[in-house]
Amino acid sequence: MSTEINYLIPWLVFAIPILGALLMPIVARIGEKIRDYYAIFITLISAILCASMLPIALAGETFHHQVMWISALDITAGVLADPLSILMSNIVGWLSFSIMVYSMGYMKGENNMTRYWFLMVFFIGSMQLIIFSDNFLQLFFGWEGVGLCSYGLISFWNKDHKKDYVGTVGKKAWGIPLAYSPTHAGSKAFLMTRVGDASFLIGILTLFYFSGTFDFMELSKSHTWAVELAKSGLLIPVALFIFGGAIGKSAQFPLQEWLPDAMAGPTSVSALIHAATMVKAGVFLIARIGPIFVTAVENISLIMPFFEFVAWIGAITAFLAASQAMVSNELKKVLAYSTVSQIGFMMLAFGVAGLTSNFIVGYVAGFFHLTSHAIFKASLFMGAGAIIHQTHTKYLNEMGGLRKQMRLTFIAMTIGAASLAGIPLLSGFWSKDAILASILGVESSFTLIALYGLASITAIMTAFYSFRMIGMIFFGKKSRHLSKLEKSSGKHIHEAPVLMYAPYVILAILTLALGFTGPIYEGFLANSLGHHLEYAVGMEIHEHVFSINLIAVSTSILAVLVGCGSGYLFYINGKLNPIETVKNIPGLLTLQKFFVNRWYINSLYYIVFINGSLKLSQLIHKHVEVGILDKLNTVVPKFSIILSTLGGKFDKYIVDGTATRIANFNILISRNVRKIQTGITEQYVFFFALGIILLTLLLFG
Amino acid sequence: MNIPIILLVLLSITALSIPIIHILFGKKGISYIRYLTAISLSISLLLLFGSLIGLISQESTLPHLLRTDLLGSFFGFIVILVSLFVVISSFDYVKDHSNEAIYYSLLLFTSIGMLLLSFAIDLLLIFVAWELMSLPTFILAGFNKQDKLSNEGAVKFFVLGALSSGILLYGISLIFGLVGSTNLYVIADNLASLNSNLIPLVMFATIALLAGLGLKLSIVPFHMWIPDTYQGSPTPISALLSAATKKAGFAAAIRIFAVIFPLFSFDLSFALAIVAVITMSLGNLAALTQKSITRLLAYSSIAQAGYLLIGLVVLPYSDLGLIGLLYHSLNHAILQATAFIAAALVRLKTSSTDLTSYQGLSKIMPITSFCLAISLLGLAGIPPLNGFWSKLVLFGAAVDGGYAWLAFIGLINSAISVAYYLLVIKRMYMDEPKTVSNIIEPMSFKSVLLFATIVIIITGLFPNLIYDLSQEITNSFFNQ
Repeated sequence: MSTEINYLIPWLVFAIPILGALLMPIVARIGEKIRDYYAIFITLISAILCASMLPIALAGETFHHQVMWISALDITAGVLADPLSILMSNIVGWLSFSIMVYSMGYMKGENNMTRYWFLMVFFIGSMQLIIFSDNFLQLFFGWEGVGLCSYGLISFWNKDHKKDYVGTVGKKAWGIPLAYSPTHAGSKAFLMTRVGDASFLIGILTLFYFSGTFDFMELSKSHTWAVELAKSGLLIPVALFIFGGAIGKSAQFPLQEWLPDAMAGPTSVSALIHAATMVKAGVFLIARIGPIFVTAVENISLIMPFFEFVAWIGAITAFLAASQAMVSNELKKVLAYSTVSQIGFMMLAFGVAGLTSNFIVGYVAGFFHLTSHAIFKASLFMGAGAIIHQTHTKYLNEMGGLRKQMRLTFIAMTIGAASLAGIPLLSGFWSKDAILASILGVESSFTLIALYGLASITAIMTAFYSFRMIGMIFFGKKSRHLSKLEKSSGKHIHEAPVLMYAPYVILAILTLALGFTGPIYEGFLANSLGHHLEYAVGMEIHEHVFSINLIAVSTSILAVLVGCGSGYLFYINGKLNPIETVKNIPGLLTLQKFFVNRWYINSLYYIVFINGSLKLSQLIHKHVEVGILDKLNTVVPKFSIILSTLGGKFDKYIVDGTATRIANFNILISRNVRKIQTGITEQYVFFFALGIILLTLLLFG
Repeated sequence: MNIPIILLVLLSITALSIPIIHILFGKKGISYIRYLTAISLSISLLLLFGSLIGLISQESTLPHLLRTDLLGSFFGFIVILVSLFVVISSFDYVKDHSNEAIYYSLLLFTSIGMLLLSFAIDLLLIFVAWELMSLPTFILAGFNKQDKLSNEGAVKFFVLGALSSGILLYGISLIFGLVGSTNLYVIADNLASLNSNLIPLVMFATIALLAGLGLKLSIVPFHMWIPDTYQGSPTPISALLSAATKKAGFAAAIRIFAVIFPLFSFDLSFALAIVAVITMSLGNLAALTQKSITRLLAYSSIAQAGYLLIGLVVLPYSDLGLIGLLYHSLNHAILQATAFIAAALVRLKTSSTDLTSYQGLSKIMPITSFCLAISLLGLAGIPPLNGFWSKLVLFGAAVDGGYAWLAFIGLINSAISVAYYLLVIKRMYMDEPKTVSNIIEPMSFKSVLLFATIVIIITGLFPNLIYDLSQEITNSFFNQ
C-alpha cells in the first residue's frame, strides 16, 4: 500500500456516502427507482472499498495519511487505517449494505423516502468518518453527524400517529407516561446523547490544552501530557469525561434511557443504528483510547481507576437492561434492552482489559463480542421487523404459533436468539465465554468476584429472555389478534418478501459460520490487534493463545442450562404458566412492576430534568421578565430618589424627562395595549439600577 | 486613504440627498433611493474589505480622534455588511410604506454612527457616534406607526436608551475630571500616575461606562428592552439592532477596555465573568419557553452576548480573548442577521412571528427554511458551521486566561441552547404545514439569505479564513 491512490481509499470510504447523500435530492428528481438503487449502490461501493483494505488488517499493519486543516492551531485532518478501524469499517459497511437492501422491502410504499435514504446514507458516511478519524476533533464531527441522523431517523414517522408510539399508551410510572411519540423519542435521544457529547467535548478540549494535539498517533507517541495531567490530578477526570461521550452514544448507565424509546423509528433504522453500528461507536471509542491511556502512563496503576469505572458501568448496565428485557411485552423493546445489555458486556470486557496483566485478552474479547453481536442482532432485528410487518402488531402477547407459517424467519431468528443466549458452538457462546474468561484475569479479588457474579447472572437472564421471545412469537397457541387478522383478510400469515428475508437469513448463516470458526476468528483478532498494539501503539503484549478456560466454559454452559431451561418450560413447552407463577410467589409481582417501570430511572429523569428546567424557565419568565409586579412599584420611587443624587444629567433624564414620559406611557399602555403588555418600563429602569449596584458590589466587594 | 473620513462623507451625502430625491421625483424616486443606498453601502464595504486584506493602505489624518487600524476596519466591515443585508431585505419589507425614503436615510445615519464608533478613540467622539447610532434606531424601531407593539417597543427602547446615554456621559465626565483628557491613550498614560485615593472613583466611572455600553451590548440586567423591542420593530431592524449595533458597542468596549483595562489595580475580569455567566444563563433559559420567533432570537442574542463577554473577561490575560471576540463577532453578526432576516420574510408573508406559523415551513418556503435552519444550527454551535469554531476559540480563551470554570459554564449553556434552536428546526421540517400553497420568496430576500448561508458554510469548513484575520488584527492591535 504505497502508491498515492491507495491513500485515498479510507478517505473515499466516508467521502462517497457523505457526498452521495448530498446528491440524493437531485437524484430523486430523476426517478424513485433510480434513487433507491442509487442509495444502495453508494453503500455497496463504500463497503467494497472497506473490504479492499482487509489485507492491511490481516497483516496487522497501519497506515496514516494527513493533510493540513487548521494551520493556525496546527491541527491536521487525517485517516488512520489500522486493524481496529478496518475491521470495524467492514462490519459497518457490510451490515449497512444488507440493511439497505432490507429497507427496500420494509419501507416499500412509504412517503418521504428521499429523506430516509439521505439520512441513512449520510449516517453511514458519518459512522465511517468516526472509524477512520485519526484525531478527536474529526471524530467529533462524525460523532455529531451520526447523532443528527439518528435523531432524524427515530422521528421518521413524524406525524406521530398513535400506532407509531413506542411503549404502552396510558401506562404511567410516578405520574410520568411510559409511551412516547416518534418525535418525542427522537428529541429525547438527541438531547440525552448531547449530555454525553458535552462531557466528551470537555474531555478532549482539556486533553488538547495539556497535549496541544488531537491526534491519536501523537498522543500515543508523546507521554509528557499524561505526566502533566497526572500531576494536576486530571488524568482520571479527563479519561472519564471522554468516556462520558461513550456512555451517551452507547446508551450505558446512567444515560441508557434513550435507546429503548428509540425503537419508535422504522425497524430497519433500529437494526442499523440502534443495534448494529452507531451504539457501538462508544465501544469503538474506548477501544481507540484505552491503549493510548495505557501506554501514556508510566505505571498502569495510575490509569486503573478509569478501567475499573468502565468495567463497573458495563456490568451494571448489562444487568439493569437484561432485567428489563425479561419483562418487556414489546418485541423491539426486548431487543433494545438486550442491545444495551450486550453493549454493557463489551464495555465490561474493555474495562477488564486494563485491569488484567495482559491487556490483549479483554481487548480481543470485547471486539469479538462486538462483531458477533452486530451480526446476530442485526439479523434478529430484521426478523422482528418482518414479523411486525406481517402480523401488524408489535406486542409479544399478540403473536404466537408462527413457526409453521414463517418457517424461514423462525429458523433465522432461532439461530440469532440461540447465539444471543450463548448456546455452545454459536458465535455468541465463544465471545461471551471470552469475556467471562478475561474477567478471571482481574487481579483484585473483590472486583473479580463482583464482576464475574454480575456477568454470570446477566448471562442467565439473557438466555431466559432469548427463549421467552422465541417462545412467545413462534410457539404456543395463535393469539386472538392473529386469528382475527387472518379472518378479516381471508389469508394466512405468510413469509415476508424475499428482499426482506434474504438479508437476515444470510446474516443468520453468517452467525452459524462465525460460530463454527469462533476460535479461529479469535486467534486472528488476537494476532492482528496484538500486532497493531505492539508496533503502532507501542504497548507491551504477551502472546495470547486461544485456550478453553474450564471455569468460564462451565459457567456459561450452566447459565445457558438455567436460563434456557426455565425459558423453555415457561414459554415453549408450556408446562409452567408464567402469569400464575408470578402471582403465586410473593414479591415477584413487585419486582416485575419495578422492571416494567424501568427501575423508575426514566421517571426520575423526567421529574428532575425536564419538569425541573421547565419550572425554572417559567420562574424566570414570571419573576424576571414579567416582573415582580406588586412589590416593585413601591421600591422604584425610592430607588429613583437615590439615583437622582448621582448627578445633574441623571436627574434631568430620570426625574424630569422620563417620569412624565413613563407616566404618559403607562396611561397609554393601560388604555390601549393591555393585552400585549409584556413588561413595565419602570421596572426596567429599576433593573438597570440594580445592575449598576450589582457591578458596584462585584468590584468593591 | 483615510477610510472613516471618506466613508463618512460618502454615506452622509447619500443620506442627506435621499429626502431631496424623494421631494424631486416623488414616488418614482423610491427605486433610485433603494439602489443608491445599496450602492453606497456596497462601495463602503468594498473599501473596508480592501483595507482589511491590505490592498488599501490606511493613513490617519485625525490621530487624536480616529485610529485607522485593522480593528476599526474589521468592525466597520461587520456593521456595513449587516446594514447592507438589512437594506436589501428591506426592499420588499417596507415596500409601499408611506415613509420609505426616510427609512433608508435613517438606516444610513445609523451606519455612519456605527462606523465612527468602530474607529473612535476619543471618549467624546465615542459618545457622539453612540448618539448618532442610537437616535435613528429609536425611530426605526417605531417605524410601524399603527402597530401598538412597535410603539411600545420603541418607547421602551428610547427611555432606556436615554438613560444609558446619560450614564455613559456621566462616566465620561468623571474620567475627564480625574485625568483631564478624553483621549483614550492620554487617559491611559495619566491613569498610571493617578493618586491611589482616587481609585474608587475610577472604579465607579468604569461601572458607569459599562452600564451605559451594556444597554447595547445586551448584557443582563441592562437587557430588559430587548425582547419587547425586537418583537415590536420591523424585523429587519431587529436584525440591525442585534447583529450590527451590538457589534459596534463591542468595538467601543474593546477600544476602551483594552487600552485602560490592564492599568486597573482592581479586578474587573471577575465582575465581568459573573455578568457573563448571568447573561448567558438567563438568555438561554428564558429562550426555552418563548412562543414567538423574534423573542426567541432576542433571548438567544442575549445569550450570545454572554459568550462574547468571555472575550472581554480574558482580554488582559490571553491574546485568544480578543481573537475569539473578533471571530465570534463576525460569525454571530452573520448568523443572527440571517436568522432575523429569514424571520422577517416569514413575518412579511404570514404576518405572524408565532412559532406555530413555522409548522411545515420547509414545504412552503424551502429556501427560507433552509437558511434559517443553517443559521440556527450555527448559533447552536454545531460543527462544522462557523459558530462552532468561534465558540471553541472563546472557550479556549477562557481556559487559557485562567477562567476554566467560565468555559465550563459556557459549554453547559451551549448544550441547553441546542434544545430551543432544534425546536424551531423540528417545527419547520418535521411538522405538517397548515396550508399547502407555496409562498413566493422574493428575490431580494433570497439573494441575501443564500449569500449569507454560503458564507456561514464556507467559513465553517475553512475556519482559517477568519481565524487568521482575527489573529492578525489582534497582533497589530496590541503591537501598535
